[in-house]
Amino acid sequence: MPGPKSKLPAVLALIASLLGLLFASNSTLDYAKHLDRRLHDVHCSFIPGAPATAEAEACRVAMYSPYSALLKEHYWGGIPISLFALGAFAFFTAFAVYLLVYGPRAPKLAWQFFGTVGLVPLFVSLIMFTISVTKLGTVCKTCAGIYISSILLAIAGILGVLASTREAPAEPRATVGPALSLIWLISLATISLIPALVYAASAPDERPYLSKCGELKQPKMKNDELVKIATSHPLQPTLLFEDPLCPTCKAFHERLVAENIIEKLDINLALFPLDNECNWMLDTALHPGACIVSKAVLCGGSNARAVLEWAYEEQEYLSRAGKNGPDVLRAAIKQKWGETMLKCVDDRKTDVRLNNHLHFASDNNIPVSTPQMYLGSHRVCDEDTDLGLRFTLGQLAPEVLK
Amino acid sequence: MKPAALAGLGTGVVLALGVTLAVRLWVSGAAERLTTPEAEKPKVAVADQAEVGYCTPQFKQVLERVLHSCGLAEGDSSRRGCQPADVKTFASISDADFNALFTPLKERGAVVLFDQGEDKLDDKAKKLLEDKWFARKGARYFFVVARASKSGTQDKNRALSHRRANSVMYHLNEVANDPELEQKVGLLWLGNEFAQLSKDYCSWPSSRPEEKCEDETINRSAFVSWVDCRL
Repeated sequence: MPGPKSKLPAVLALIASLLGLLFASNSTLDYAKHLDRRLHDVHCSFIPGAPATAEAEACRVAMYSPYSALLKEHYWGGIPISLFALGAFAFFTAFAVYLLVYGPRAPKLAWQFFGTVGLVPLFVSLIMFTISVTKLGTVCKTCAGIYISSILLAIAGILGVLASTREAPAEPRATVGPALSLIWLISLATISLIPALVYAASAPDERPYLSKCGELKQPKMKNDELVKIATSHPLQPTLLFEDPLCPTCKAFHERLVAENIIEKLDINLALFPLDNECNWMLDTALHPGACIVSKAVLCGGSNARAVLEWAYEEQEYLSRAGKNGPDVLRAAIKQKWGETMLKCVDDRKTDVRLNNHLHFASDNNIPVSTPQMYLGSHRVCDEDTDLGLRFTLGQLAPEVLK
Repeated sequence: MKPAALAGLGTGVVLALGVTLAVRLWVSGAAERLTTPEAEKPKVAVADQAEVGYCTPQFKQVLERVLHSCGLAEGDSSRRGCQPADVKTFASISDADFNALFTPLKERGAVVLFDQGEDKLDDKAKKLLEDKWFARKGARYFFVVARASKSGTQDKNRALSHRRANSVMYHLNEVANDPELEQKVGLLWLGNEFAQLSKDYCSWPSSRPEEKCEDETINRSAFVSWVDCRL
C-alpha cells in the first residue's frame, strides 16, 4: 500500500484518465465519421494512437450493435455512449491533476470522492463487457481499452483512499467543506453530458437521404416464390436478399433479432449466394459453399427461418466446410437436417429455384452485395441497415418499433 | 485559490472546451461531407444477366434480329420462330459466318440428333436437352437451331426442320414447368437451304456420340444452347 506521501495513486489516476480519454476519443471519432453515410476504417487496437484500420470486425460489430448508443430512434446512429466516457474521463483527468498538484496534502474528502466516483466507469465497463461477451460474442479492442482504463482508475481511487487515511507528520492534509463534493459531482455530470449535447445539437439531418437508394423494378418473382421467413407479428412487408454464409448478413440478422424488430417484419427472402458455383455475377467465390447452403434454406419450406438461423450460427464451420468441397457441406446438412433435406438439396428442381432467385436479383438490377433490405419496394441504403437501422425504421416503418 | 485547485480547474476547463470543440468539429465535418461529398461513392457491381466473351456486337446483332423478327421479344405466340427465308433476310450474313457465330457455344450447347426423316426425340436426346436446359445460369435466351440434311426436297426439309424445332419446344414445355418458356426460347428452322453444318461439327457434344457422324447426319439435328449475352 502506498504511503501518505506517495504520488503513485495520483499518477496512476492521471495515466488511467488520459488513456480513457484517448480510447473514448477514438471511439467517438469513429462513430462521428460515419454520420456522412460512408464506410470508414475504425480504430481497433490496444495501442494508444494506433491508426484506424479496415480490419476491425469486432469494433464494427460493437459499433453497429444496439448497445453502442442511446436514442437511436431519434438520432441517426443514436448518441454514442463513448461521448459520456469522453466527458467523464476529461473530468477525471482534471481531478487527477488537482490531486497530483496537491500531493500528500490532498484533502481526504477529495480522495474519497475520487475513489467513489472512480468506480462508476468500472461499473459501466463491467456491464458493457458482459454485453459484449454474452450478446455480441466479441470484445472490441477500443472498448477493452476503456475497460482497462476504468480498472486502472478504480485501482488508483482505492489506493488513494487507503493512502489518505494516513498523514505525513510534517504535512497535514487540507480540509474542504462537504459542499465541495456536491460541486464536483455536478461538474462531473455536466462535463459528461456536454459532449453528448453538442453531438446531438450538431448531428446532420439524415432524413432526406433515407429514400434515395432505389426501388425494385419487379417486386414479384415471375415464375417462382420467394422464401417466407416466419415471424410472430408480421406487419411490414419486407424483402431481404441474403447469403447464408455472409458474415454481414449474419450480423444484420442478429441486429434485427436483438433490436426486437424481426418479429414485426413480414419477410420474403431472396437467396443471393456470393458463390460463383451458381452465381454468374461473380468471377470468384466470396463465400464458397453458399450455393449449397442456400439450397438447404430453399428446401427448408416452412422451416426456412430455422435453417437460415442454423446457417448463421454455424457460419464459421460451414464456411470452412465450403472451402473443403461440396461433400463436407452436404454431410453437415445431412447430419443436421436428415436425408430428405439432402435429397432436396441435390434435386434439379432446387437448382432451378435458386437460379430463379438469382434471376430475380438480376431482373431488379440490385447491387451485387448482401444483405439488402427493401421495405415494400423501397431499398434501404446499406448504411441504414447498420448504424442507422432504428432511425430509418422509425421514419419509414414506425409500427415496427412499437 | 490554491494552486492545486487552479491546476485542476484550468485542466478541466481546457479539456471540457477541447472535447466539446473536437466533437463539434467531428460531427460538422461529417455533416459537411454528407451535403457536399468530396468523392463519388464507390460503384458497386449491379446484378444482371450473364455476358461472356463471345457476345460480339455482330453476334448480338444477329441474335437480336432473331428475337425481334421471329416474334420472341414481343411474346407474340401467333408468330413464333424463324424459317430459312426469314433467317436469310434478317441475318444478312453468309452461311459460314452464321455458323461461325455459334462456334463459341460449343461447350455451352449441344447437338440433338434425329433419325433420317424423323422429328422424334429419342431418350438420349431428351436427356441431353434437359441437361442443357437446366444449366441455365445467367442466360436469358435459349436458342434452338433445327436443320435437315440434303436428302429430299427443299420444301420437305423445311417442314422437317420445323417439326424438329417443335419437338424440342414440346419437350421443353413438358419438363420445364416454366410459364415464361415462350419468352425464353428462340426457334430457328433452317431446312437444308441455309447454314448447313460441315463434318467439323461432329466433334461437338451430341446426343449420339457413339454413332458415325457425316455431313448428312450432323444436319439431321437441332443445335440447342443458352446464350450468355445481354440482348
